[in-house]
Parts: sequence; structure tokens; C-alpha cells
Amino acid sequence: MDELALRLLQGITSITWQSLVMIAVAGLLFYLAIVRDYEPLLLLPIGAGALLANLPLSPLLGEDGMLTILYNTGVGNELFPLLIFIGIGALTDFSPLLSNPRMVLLGAAGQFGIFGTLLAALALGFSREEAASIGIIGAIDGPTSIYVSSLLAPQLLGPITVAAYSYMSLVPVIMPPVIRALTTPAERRIRMEYVSRPISRRTRILFPIVTTIVVGILVPFAIPLIGMLMLGNLMRESGVVERLTNTSSRELANIVTLFLGLAIGSTMEGTRFLQPATLAILALGILAFVLDTAAGLLFGKFLNLLSRGRFNPIIGAAGISAFPMAARVVQKLAHEEDFENFILMHAMGANAAGQVASVVAGGVVLALMGR
Amino acid sequence: MENLGFGLTMTVLGMGLVFTVLALIWGMLNLLTRFDRPEAPVVAEAAPTPAVAPAAEGQLTPDEVAAIAVAVAVHTATLRREAAPTVRSYWPGSLLFASRWVAAGRTRQNQSWQRRR
Repeated sequence: MDELALRLLQGITSITWQSLVMIAVAGLLFYLAIVRDYEPLLLLPIGAGALLANLPLSPLLGEDGMLTILYNTGVGNELFPLLIFIGIGALTDFSPLLSNPRMVLLGAAGQFGIFGTLLAALALGFSREEAASIGIIGAIDGPTSIYVSSLLAPQLLGPITVAAYSYMSLVPVIMPPVIRALTTPAERRIRMEYVSRPISRRTRILFPIVTTIVVGILVPFAIPLIGMLMLGNLMRESGVVERLTNTSSRELANIVTLFLGLAIGSTMEGTRFLQPATLAILALGILAFVLDTAAGLLFGKFLNLLSRGRFNPIIGAAGISAFPMAARVVQKLAHEEDFENFILMHAMGANAAGQVASVVAGGVVLALMGR
Repeated sequence: MENLGFGLTMTVLGMGLVFTVLALIWGMLNLLTRFDRPEAPVVAEAAPTPAVAPAAEGQLTPDEVAAIAVAVAVHTATLRREAAPTVRSYWPGSLLFASRWVAAGRTRQNQSWQRRR
């Protein structure tokens, strides 16, 4: 009888303090997603994955458990982030970049956060692989972060993904104070003329093909990332595979996002997640975002010098991958200073460049780490 | 100290490589947009056309005529659509007591699609 009672109550007797804390963390993720509307598409499934993985004796984490199967199917082999990249490519309009190609360099400057954070992580005692994975939060690109960290430090995948996606939704909160601190109102008021140049269909189609070839030859490690991003964009711009474009940007992206979120959430198992390293990663994630913004601004100031004051330096802050949120934040700040200052299209160009640059940076990090 | 050296090397090489690759993409984009230019003059030539024949006082400009033509075409299409009656015994979606012929919407084919005169 005692044995039967123990068997019936083994769920209660197996509860640990770690699982209780993680259930609370899952609740926090639900709160952020549902009440605060922070990246709900990702944070809600991640929260569900974390909850299901931390309930005592969860069969979902067994050898044939659903969460284990999802992890092995799409995260352990980097399939899911790459499928999401097809959808991102199908959703992204690169025409602001094509009509203003010089903005591409701002995307490069916006990747400094990766390497600055890598240095900080090394200083905190993380191994080289772990530091590179933490640094990649600075790409401000969820799928790239997942792709790189699953190759270099899969044990840190949970906290890195949560940090990347949570802070990405906090771009409108993190960026403005940095921009205000590093620029003067006069700089933010600089107006820039935008000449809208029509881009032919031929150029729009050639862009993804040529970019894949150039980046693929120069940084072979970036081929999966850039290849899938540009495949989605080629489908969009060609206009001949509307069904595939729609499927990749809607149904496929949605299904994979759900699976990816659940699989990532399942890695947040209490005993592994509740480490001092997790707190450090969350702190380093913010640092990565701040450094990206600051480096972009400083490069913007450099361009301002070169152009003798005609370039608005805050456009530099938009050279990150959070598309189109970063560009909107920059426009809003310019608008605050001067109601008739419209720099949105310039910022969108820098933002689109940040998207390509983050993928290139991911490949460069993998190449330098010898993966 | 060794790790710091590694981190600095990564930073210099990493940022250098990212800038190099993106500078190449910049060059490539410039080339692409240069090839794109021949199409631009066609637009530029087409633009002044309205200016050649300015509308006289009280006359319609070609743009206004085009807008009116589109409005008339849309209005005609609407009238034609409205002229095709739909037979419904029940509320839309309800197939209660409907024959298979009706359920498949075949009765619509018996109606005239011509505009009522």
C-alpha cells in the first residue's frame, strides 16, 4: 500500500527547488510574452518548453520524448534556424540598401558588440568556445545566435537564446539612452536628403545570387546562413514562386518557430540552467547590445566627419540586425529633435545591411574558431 | 593573458574580415546599380511628356483622363457583378435542404451575367 502511494505521489516527491525556480522562470517568460508583448512568438513556446521540461519526471525529456526528438531533429543539427532564415529572407526588402549601397559599411560597424562581448566573456573566465557563443548575442539575430552557439557551446544554448530574443524585443528600451548619451541634439537634428531610386527587378534578383556567391567564396562557414537568407529573398524578388514565398514566410516559419521555441525551452532544465554562468550571460547580452549601438554611432560620427557634417551619426546605430525595429527607433529619436527630419529610409538601408552583416559575422566567428 | 591575446586577435581579425567582406559587397552593389542605370533614362524621358502638352484652361490633363477611365471601368465591373443575381434559399453557408446541384453553386450558371439594361 505504501509502495502504491509512493508511486502515485512520485510527481510530488520528485519536485526539486531547481524545478520550482524554473517553473517560475517559465511563468516570467509567459508574462513577458503575453502581458508585455516581448517577442511572444518565441518567448511563449520557450516558456512552454521550459515548463514542460521542468515538471518532475517529465516524459517529454525521455529518450523518445517529444522535446528530445524536436531538439535532435532541428536544433542539434542546426536545421531549424536555417529554415527560419528562408522565411526571414522572404520577408526582407533589401531595396533601401540597394538604392543606397554605402550604408552596407554601417552594418559592419554594428557587429563590434560580438567581439567586445567576447573579450568581456573571456575576462570573466568563460572558455574560448563559450565566449564566442556569448559574443554572438551581439549579432542581435536570434537564428544566427542559435546556429553559432549550437555548434560552439550547445550547453549554453538556452540562456544565450533567451538573452538574444529578450533583448531584441528590448531594442526600443536599450538603444535610446545610448544614442542620447553619445550624440548631441544638433547631431540628431542633421537632415539628410533621400533620393528614391527605382531598383529594377533584374537587380533585385541578382542581389541575392551575387551576394551568396561573394560571401560563400570568402567565408565558406557562412554559406548555410547566407544561402538560406538569400534563397528566401530570391524567391520573393523573382515573383515566380509566390506559393513557396508565402509558405516560407508564413506556415513554414511559424511551424519551425514553434518547434524551435519548444526545443530551446527544453534545454532550460533546472540543474543546467541555474548556474552563475546564466546570470553572467544575461548581463553580457545587454553589454553586447550597448556595444553594438555605441560602435555604430561612433562609425556614424566618423562618416559625419568625412562628409563634413552632412551625415546624421545616429543612422549608424541602425546597423544591427533587429529589422526594422532599430531603424524605427533611430527615426523616432531624429523626430523628437526635429519634427520634420525624416531619416527612416537611410536607417532602413543601414538596418538591412546589419542583417547581411550579422550573418557574415556569424560565419567569420565560426571560421576563426575553426568550425 | 593568453585568452586576452586570443580575444584581441579575434576582434581585430573578425572586424577586419567583416569590414572586408561588406566592402566587397558594397563594390558589388555599386556595380549592380551601375548596370541598372540604362533603365533609368527611360523613366527620365517619360516624365517630361505631360509637360509637353500642358492642359489648357478648363481642359483635362492626360492623368485626369486616365483616372476617369479607370473609375469608369471599375464602376462598370461593379455594376456587372451586381447584375448577376444569386439565388439563396437560406443564409450564406447553409446547405440545408439544398440539392447537390445548388450546393455546388451550379444554379449561378443559369443566371445571366450580362448587365441589366
